[in-house]
Amino acid sequence: MKIALFIPCLVNQMMPHVGIATVELLEKLGHQVILPKGQTCCGQPMTNSGCFDEAKKTTLKLLNAFKGVECDAIVCPAASCLVAAKENFHEFDDSPEAQAVIDKLYELTEFLHDVAPIPAYNKAFNYKISLQLSCHGIRMLDLATPSEQMGPRTNKVEAVLSSIPGIEIVYPDRRDECCGFGGTFAVDEGAVSAKMGKDKAQAHAATGATYAVGFDPSCLLHLDGMIRRQLLPIATRHIAEVINAAL
Amino acid sequence: MSSQTTALNSGVHAKKADIFCKDEARVDWHSKALWVLREKRDRAAGSLPEWEQLRQLGSEMKLHTLTHLGEYLETFEKNCQANGIVVHWAKDGAEHNQIVHSILAKHQVKKLVKSKSMLTEECHLNPYLESKGIEVIDTDLGERIIQLAKQPPSHIVVPAIHMKKEEVGDLFHDKLGTEAGASDPTYLTRAARAHLREQFLSADAAMTGVNMAIADKGAVVVCTNEGNADMGANLPKLQLHSMGIDKMVPDLDSAAILLRTLARNATGQPITTYSSFYRGPQDGGEMHIIIVDNGRTDMLKDKILAESLKCIRCGGCLNTCPVYRRSGGYSYNYTIPGPIGIAVGAQADDTHSIPWACTLCGSCSYVCPTKVPLDKIIHHHRRLKAKAGKLPYGKRNYMPLVGNFMASETMLNCSMSVARTALRILPGSLLKPFSGAWGKYRELPVAPKSSFEAWFNKNRGQ
Repeated sequence: MKIALFIPCLVNQMMPHVGIATVELLEKLGHQVILPKGQTCCGQPMTNSGCFDEAKKTTLKLLNAFKGVECDAIVCPAASCLVAAKENFHEFDDSPEAQAVIDKLYELTEFLHDVAPIPAYNKAFNYKISLQLSCHGIRMLDLATPSEQMGPRTNKVEAVLSSIPGIEIVYPDRRDECCGFGGTFAVDEGAVSAKMGKDKAQAHAATGATYAVGFDPSCLLHLDGMIRRQLLPIATRHIAEVINAAL
Repeated sequence: MSSQTTALNSGVHAKKADIFCKDEARVDWHSKALWVLREKRDRAAGSLPEWEQLRQLGSEMKLHTLTHLGEYLETFEKNCQANGIVVHWAKDGAEHNQIVHSILAKHQVKKLVKSKSMLTEECHLNPYLESKGIEVIDTDLGERIIQLAKQPPSHIVVPAIHMKKEEVGDLFHDKLGTEAGASDPTYLTRAARAHLREQFLSADAAMTGVNMAIADKGAVVVCTNEGNADMGANLPKLQLHSMGIDKMVPDLDSAAILLRTLARNATGQPITTYSSFYRGPQDGGEMHIIIVDNGRTDMLKDKILAESLKCIRCGGCLNTCPVYRRSGGYSYNYTIPGPIGIAVGAQADDTHSIPWACTLCGSCSYVCPTKVPLDKIIHHHRRLKAKAGKLPYGKRNYMPLVGNFMASETMLNCSMSVARTALRILPGSLLKPFSGAWGKYRELPVAPKSSFEAWFNKNRGQ
């Protein structure tokens, strides 16, 4: 398939290794990867602060970067940004061209589960990992059934990762409690955000896993800062890095 | 404790939360006590195969009722009157309090026993009646504890959850004469029961809140675990029930849906010990129902805010909320804390900060037994605050700059390149003063040399 990458500003500027792993793994799976030019922020920091007017310019610029781009899917290695892009594109542009872009948007795990499953892994990943089930991915993108919901359960993240040879998947206590990042919440509500992050980092470390693995770079960046401040014996990895290492 | 009490009604949420967070052991204790309720709720909800259908039914039934609220309220009033109940209408808290006082004054009531009602907290009834010389005794154990401690509730179902048993022991020693240093919950509960029996027997009137008002029966339902509503309503001849217009349900079947989810979602019990249906005065007595608006019809006008009126006050959203558990019930600048407190109290919040006491994690919306879309409502409050130019934490000044900055690749690329270099080459001690709240609590990110886009252009040759 021909895949256009949606690389959120945080990944582009601060976590390029997540983008690189995404490109490499998709290419290993036989896909053609392009990077449409002119991508900016999805507008989430502004809309989550209630500032829709301030979000419009950057959201539409990002949308325009994808309009008319020939591709089968637009894939993003960041669940929260993807959800915000979908909602904000819809908010500011109700044209058929915008809808065509929205219809092609997939978060990486979602794409690898729903659209183009991985036939087989060919390398082992001999580590215990503690899954970071970030909020927007599970509660807005249905990547995994949230713990509050009763009845049948699905977990696309575990489904994608579980066939990697040698991998052991565990979960922290209070498995899908928020890590406390929350965008500007991390600075507006510093004390509570930090306490949530500390609790989450400790819960991951308490599993004895080598890596805390997640699909949302912003949560991972926050957790990484907490883990290093607390000197905990665990490190963060994005799901793309784990998959790429096993291909 | 006193610092927490005085902190209520002053200062932005983050400031009060920061004070609460200073005692980390207490935060851990508070967070865990409430998480235990969430775990009990999960077990109780999980024991019903039809749980998710009950949530959907509850949501649709409440939405239906709210859509036809006028008709149901009129039917309710008519049926109440046919049952010999006197119905009063109050447009706001002040009118509610005046109506209550006029009824009590007419009967020369000196002492009123009250069972749990967040509505009377919302209307600030107790201080009003006390100013008129009427003694008000809250009879729910948790409510009595905080009343003796002269504190407001910190939770809508377990109002004294912020107090440790040792603190309750000290309080009871001081106020009820229990043994010094005694903190055994059974001992303290027995002491409270003996104290409350005297109050029930000497009261001139009883008042309760309402969990559900049943339109086609002209009856109200009150749920308690301690039987205190019944002890009150069945002893004195005069009984009063205050309810918001949002408590309406069409019929007994509708009430049954909510009775199946309410206690399970609140505390993990299959049902509260007592679910009492009142539909008429005692022989020779009087029964009054005061129906209160207090801003609810205004909320109904906004399609998103209207859904908050589906709430049945189980408190499940508070128990699951990671922010509430770590900031305490007194940090919200509103009588009701937590997600539902933000949903119904944000527009009245003069610090304009409570809609931001939330990471938009969405756990509350999934916990809610009537599917109130709390995270969407909170998000919507932020938009309403922004529209009104009432943003906290300096957002009004910096958000337009961020908007322009993020929309410009050139500005973003240049400045982030400088920032990455600074993060890489400057010592941490130099960066710290500029890293703000991020660096105060966390290590700064390990900065890469270049952006992803630069890597892609170099290695994939675009």
